[in-house]
Amino acid sequence: MSEHADAVVALLNVSKEFMRDKIRIPVLSNTTLHIPRGDFVAVMGPSGSGKSTLLNLCAGLDRPTTGEVIVNGQNLGDLSEAGLSRWRSENLGFIFQSYNLMPVLTAQENVELPLLLTPLRRAERRKHAAAALAIVGLEDRADHYPRQLSGGQEQRVAIARALANDPVLLLADEPTGNLDAASAQDVLDLLVQLNDHYGTTIIMVTHDPKAARRAKRLLHLEKGDFVQADIDALEAAR
Amino acid sequence: MIKFLPLVVRNVARNKIRSLFTCLSIAVSLFLVVMLYSFLTVQDEMTVASRVYNRLIVMNVQGLAGNVPIAYVDRIRKLDGVRSATSFSWFGGKYRDEKIVFGQFGVDPQSVADVYEDYVVPPDQLQAFQADRTGCVVGALLAKNKGWSIGDKVPLKGDIYPVNLELTVRGIYDGSSSIDREMLWFHFDYLDESLKAARSTMAGNAGIVVLRAKSAEAMNRLTEDIELAFASSDAPVKALTEKQFQAEFMSYMGDVRAFIRYTSIAIVIALLCVAANTMAMALRERTREIALFKAIGFSQANVLSLFLGEAVVIGALGGVVGCLGAKLLFATVDFSKMLPGLGWLYVPWSTALAGVALAASIGLVSGVVPAWRAAHLSVLEGLRKVV
Amino acid sequence: MVPLKYNLRSLRARKVGSLMTVLGVGMVVWASIFAFGLYAGLEHTLTVSVNPLDVIVLRQGSTAETASAVSESAARDILALPGIATDAEGRPLAAPELVAIGYLPRRDADGNTNVTVRGVVPASAALRDGLTIVEGRNFTPGVREAIVSRALSERFKGLKLGESFKVQDAMFQVVGYFQAHGAAAESEIWTDQRVLGQVTNRTGSVSAVQLRAASADDRQRLIQRITADEQIGLKAITEKEYFAEQAEQSQFLRIIGQIIAFFLTIGAMFAVANTMYGAVASRAREIGTLRALGFGRASVLASFLFESLVLCLLGAIVGCLGALALGDIRTGTMGGAFTEVVFAFNFGPRVLLSGALLAIAMGLLGGLAPAVRAVRMRVVNALREV
Repeated sequence: MSEHADAVVALLNVSKEFMRDKIRIPVLSNTTLHIPRGDFVAVMGPSGSGKSTLLNLCAGLDRPTTGEVIVNGQNLGDLSEAGLSRWRSENLGFIFQSYNLMPVLTAQENVELPLLLTPLRRAERRKHAAAALAIVGLEDRADHYPRQLSGGQEQRVAIARALANDPVLLLADEPTGNLDAASAQDVLDLLVQLNDHYGTTIIMVTHDPKAARRAKRLLHLEKGDFVQADIDALEAAR
Repeated sequence: MIKFLPLVVRNVARNKIRSLFTCLSIAVSLFLVVMLYSFLTVQDEMTVASRVYNRLIVMNVQGLAGNVPIAYVDRIRKLDGVRSATSFSWFGGKYRDEKIVFGQFGVDPQSVADVYEDYVVPPDQLQAFQADRTGCVVGALLAKNKGWSIGDKVPLKGDIYPVNLELTVRGIYDGSSSIDREMLWFHFDYLDESLKAARSTMAGNAGIVVLRAKSAEAMNRLTEDIELAFASSDAPVKALTEKQFQAEFMSYMGDVRAFIRYTSIAIVIALLCVAANTMAMALRERTREIALFKAIGFSQANVLSLFLGEAVVIGALGGVVGCLGAKLLFATVDFSKMLPGLGWLYVPWSTALAGVALAASIGLVSGVVPAWRAAHLSVLEGLRKVV
Repeated sequence: MVPLKYNLRSLRARKVGSLMTVLGVGMVVWASIFAFGLYAGLEHTLTVSVNPLDVIVLRQGSTAETASAVSESAARDILALPGIATDAEGRPLAAPELVAIGYLPRRDADGNTNVTVRGVVPASAALRDGLTIVEGRNFTPGVREAIVSRALSERFKGLKLGESFKVQDAMFQVVGYFQAHGAAAESEIWTDQRVLGQVTNRTGSVSAVQLRAASADDRQRLIQRITADEQIGLKAITEKEYFAEQAEQSQFLRIIGQIIAFFLTIGAMFAVANTMYGAVASRAREIGTLRALGFGRASVLASFLFESLVLCLLGAIVGCLGALALGDIRTGTMGGAFTEVVFAFNFGPRVLLSGALLAIAMGLLGGLAPAVRAVRMRVVNALREV
């Protein structure tokens, strides 16, 4: 139980099934998982194994078929749809494979977006956003629109956006999937730095072994359950 | 071209909500345009339809408000070429608390049925009307709106005239949709005698005289004869054909025709924007697909006609729903209660079909720019573009 | 709240689509304002500068002056009644007036139309607040001279300054233009009451008596007193009521305007819905991201409704400007008793506001279904959408 209390994320006997054309597709089956505070977990696994489902469950974007998801002490099943929205804005940061920046907003405005959900004043929001941009090294690009940035820069803006509200948990879905090697390295450096300096808990779904190596530990998703894995063994098995 | 049709239809059905909304937008707007235009065309049609009855309208040279002494009716009847004539005196009384006055006319009960042969009164009802000095004949539409049937009392409170009339419905006339079925005819003598009894100076005024000539040839001659016959009297008159009379009456209505035209033009422009936007959205979504079409050998002309075809189909569908809907609605539902004084309004086929053609043209024109852009899309760019 | 600039910039990003929608909505608002403006113009003409203390005395049972008659002796009695306001020289502000109907050739079209010719006395002008001669001079009493409004002179032949026109068999010369703030008097030809009476063989009676009460209480007392006297068979009503009744006759103009606006608003609603559906569909991922960031359903709904509203309000601005650009268009229609009422379209605040309200209805109703779709989009799927 001590493990449980210390965990930022706790999945308790979670199952998740999808219905597709009346066929039940089980993705997670009776899984229990604890991710302690300050952890940096990489999640790997074949396509359709349920990696994205894990992130969606942790974010409360999806609900488990059975079982409970507890994030930062909050049982997500207890929250209403509106409560979840609020909760997300206070606790989560999200990084997507395709960045998902608002094309019509500047870098600074994109970063400010989640802060609009906090009681912060305009000037404070600006300061926070600028600080977040500085962390990702893009303070000079504050007024640029996403289309004026490179892919790597866009992803760094997305990270800044995820940081802006000082989240307990950072969820990253293939953050390097669309990037070239050098940009991917920058992004991973950033994540490691966040984890080290600020103790932000990170769950990162990835296909890229190089990315997975930068995490503190690796979970492999097999047949609906998580297996603690070693990257070298995994590589060797291939 | 025709072999593209299934493809065009499938494209229209692809984004069902968008196509449906565009069609509905066009349909609702054209419903209105067709309704407004019918107002104009039906009036024209009425005058054309009445031409065969060779009627002339005699009124004071000072216009409708002028005076035509009742004695003129007899003098006109005696003129060569006149078949029958009746006074036609606007009473303009108030019925109950109604604000809007319907047409009430003091006529000669012996002649009116012949002058207005196209306004059919059953013979027994006509006789009953002729026999009852306070009787009246009402149009079928008017009777329906007011819920009158034969024997009902119709009290009219004088407004222009200082007397009230207590009328009884003795007959109901009907006829084709091109006649005015919202009039009430009563004995002119009843009004005149009431006025004399009230010692009103307004007695003895026939208002206008409507006559029926024996032939179309006689009409031209009669126009001059009548104007000459009364030229040097106290009340000189002029004779108008029904068409001229209609035109004069329209001029009282002011610039309604022009306003209907302006409004319609604005609606057409609005629809052009709406339809063009729809096509532009369709184009944006299908950029890759169009590039693919061209990659597998579709020519510019092919792509152009594919898109124009789609635009025309959407426009025409909207037109059919709106215009034929208007036609159908006016044919089945009676709007005379909602539109007082417009009970005669219906949608002629010519107007409905013109509306459909207009809708298809709106589609065509709106499709030109998007279709042209689709046709000139570069294959490479299109395939690369992820929208 | 999702920041408003997100919506504004999104609209700008879809320039052509937004522009087309704004133009479409604009034309619809314009057409509705045009239709409303017609009736509002007529109503304005009939109600402008009507003094609440003014009373008109007519024959019992008639709703229009043209169909009314008041004997001269009765008119004299009325002028002597207590409670009538007086002018600076102490003369009662009451005018027995004679209304005849002229039949004049139109300038802009074929055919003739009936025009009200009003025989007036000196008090008449004082009873129409703001009536002033703007060019030429007033008619000379006892002479066949007349004054008209400029608007009327532009509509009918023979009414320009110095020109002559016929009333029955008599020729009158126009010696001046007057203006009366667009009131009903501007649709009339004014001449000397006695001269008009002689020309039309109507001596011994007038059409109506216009008068101004000294106070609201006096007004009620005068109305009661005149109407109660069954011997003379007259009725007195306030000028306001009189003109309201006249406007009532042209109700069909208002009904037609409402029908036009109703149908066009529905048509435009579909168009707006289309545009917004397009916006929602192409921004599915953005919507998913907003939701993942923690924006609630209400915020997303409000955001898209706002966007739709902005589109339509831009359209409303286009429509209103378009209507104002028409400027001062004058027209005429048949008023009571078949005489022409000349009036200007009224694109006043009330009419423009109703146009804007239509636009708001289009925006809210047209934007609702797409906004609901945006809200109901499954975030998980939306995020994946390419």
